[in-house]
Amino acid sequence: MFERALNAFWIALGAAAAAYAWTLGVMGPSGPDSGLFPLIASIIIAGSGVALMLQRSSLAPSPDFPRGAALWRVGGVIAGLALFAIGIPYLGFAITGAITMLILLRTVEQSSWAMSVLLAIASVIAVVWLFGHLLGMPLPRGPWGF
Amino acid sequence: MDAINGLMHGFGVILTLQNLYLCLLGSLIGTLVGVLPGVGPMAALALLLPVTFTLQPVGGMVMLASIFYGAMYGGSTTSILLNIPGEAASVVTCLDGHKLARQGRAGAALGIAALGSFFAGTLGVIIMTFFAPAIAALAIRFGPPENFGLMVLGLVCTLYMITGSPVKGVLMIALGFLCAAIGLDVVNGRERFTFGSVDLSAGIELLAVVIGLFGVSEVLSNVETMAKSTLVSDKIRGLWPTLDDWRQSWKPMLRGSGLGFVLGLVPGGGPVTASFMSYALERRVSDTPERFGEGAIEGVAGPESANNAAVAGSLIPVLSLGIPGNPVTALLLGALVIHGIQPGPLFVTQRPDLFWGIVASMYVGNVFLLLLNLPLVGLWAQLLRIPYRVLFPVVLLLSVIGTYSANKNVFDLWVMLGFGIAGYVLRKLEYDLAPFVIAFVLAPMLEQSMRQSLAMSADGAMIFFQRPGTALLLAASAVLVALMFRRKRKTEGGMP
Repeated sequence: MFERALNAFWIALGAAAAAYAWTLGVMGPSGPDSGLFPLIASIIIAGSGVALMLQRSSLAPSPDFPRGAALWRVGGVIAGLALFAIGIPYLGFAITGAITMLILLRTVEQSSWAMSVLLAIASVIAVVWLFGHLLGMPLPRGPWGF
Repeated sequence: MDAINGLMHGFGVILTLQNLYLCLLGSLIGTLVGVLPGVGPMAALALLLPVTFTLQPVGGMVMLASIFYGAMYGGSTTSILLNIPGEAASVVTCLDGHKLARQGRAGAALGIAALGSFFAGTLGVIIMTFFAPAIAALAIRFGPPENFGLMVLGLVCTLYMITGSPVKGVLMIALGFLCAAIGLDVVNGRERFTFGSVDLSAGIELLAVVIGLFGVSEVLSNVETMAKSTLVSDKIRGLWPTLDDWRQSWKPMLRGSGLGFVLGLVPGGGPVTASFMSYALERRVSDTPERFGEGAIEGVAGPESANNAAVAGSLIPVLSLGIPGNPVTALLLGALVIHGIQPGPLFVTQRPDLFWGIVASMYVGNVFLLLLNLPLVGLWAQLLRIPYRVLFPVVLLLSVIGTYSANKNVFDLWVMLGFGIAGYVLRKLEYDLAPFVIAFVLAPMLEQSMRQSLAMSADGAMIFFQRPGTALLLAASAVLVALMFRRKRKTEGGMP
């Protein structure tokens, strides 16, 4: 069911992208225009979606999506990375990294508080030292200067 | 100055304490960035370029070049041990390298990868030394139609990597094209698919795509089962391949070296394309293609040789003609200009110390890299001793740093996360992700060559059939597609 919905999505994506590419112009006075290449790609996407919809043999054998605790862990990692992207501009890399790691270790790994805090701080210090100091990479800093 | 005298002059330049130190340092950093997921040679070169400003041009260029080829060596390590490519040219090494590791043959895979890299790297430099002018002259005869034909052939070859439905593979290639079209049109600067977003106008960052698809999605798969099975927990032993491994690997190494060198020469080629094409070639010529993806040593030997040979090949147009074929060599070209050196055909005669110094440093660097990679592989393997609960957040931290380092833009982190989720779901539905990445990399050059060809043609698309080289490449592509679908039909029909 999910895969059939995805195939329908490919068809819709291909059709929408083709329509948009067409508005960019396919052939101009001096040759091919901006829309030609994406138009070809879009048509292939839509065509492949149709082929997949019609071709039952290409369906994956019952994809095993996570449930229960596994879903919680996968969701935890996604939420952790989202938190990273949201927090970095305000808190900097070190603080956001430590908080994210702490949350991941507590929720996904279910490590003890002490172990989680220790691992989170140690990992972030090691990574910041290696990239920020040794390699001189300008990591984003928070209001506390680190 | 003939090649032998030139090379001797180059060794005279490189064999000083400072230059040897810089070559070793570059090799070490290259290996490190190759090993670390998400920190590729491009980011490392960009970061370390300012460091070379204080050095003499020879030392600076030797260090930058050694980072480039050093990353090709190191990139295989995490591909094999962790199923996370250290850099894009090692993506394909994951397919069989990690399977071998999980079968308890990590040592053999790492050994073949390092020795294949050394063999191909050295062979590539030897060819570069003697045939650079002639080969470069041949490659620059390629016009846009020939480049288009070559890239089409490269993409068709990626279809041979697909283990599942070919239609899904074609769809992934087209998706790669479409994603690469986001941003400014390379020809006229017009915005495409940006919908007014400033972040999208710069296009989608390759590092964010690769790290998302191959790093984050792998972490998601692992935490789902919370299994440590993707990590190789056995002690790594037997770094020297067995006689049987050698028997299976020497031909792929030779083929990979030749293919990688030629693809490195041609604009649009380079280590990433070379490794993918080599894998496709090995699978195609194998009597037992079903072993590929299940732990075939040839699937490690060929691509790892190809990506190292491609480095030597890709340096030829830059050093002898001033034409970069990929982003990394473009950065090297920029470094030459910053050092006040005019790249181009006169570079070899005007700055023989620099040209031959770089060539000689590649001989030395390959020896350094072999020494760094074989005996020290145990050091990298220590990663395996770290429990997964520690490793996966660190992998995520490295992924964030690797992605962020490209543009210093938080938007790239969202792109990484999006591609990570997409990769996780698509893998469950048996979509191959590698064709997407190779199409994404090739798309700008493919589009440019297609549009240039059509613009210069009086007969529209007929130009692709009027030029013998292009016609040959496109005919070869068509034959390969036909053979692939024929083989697929046979497989589905249960025929041998």
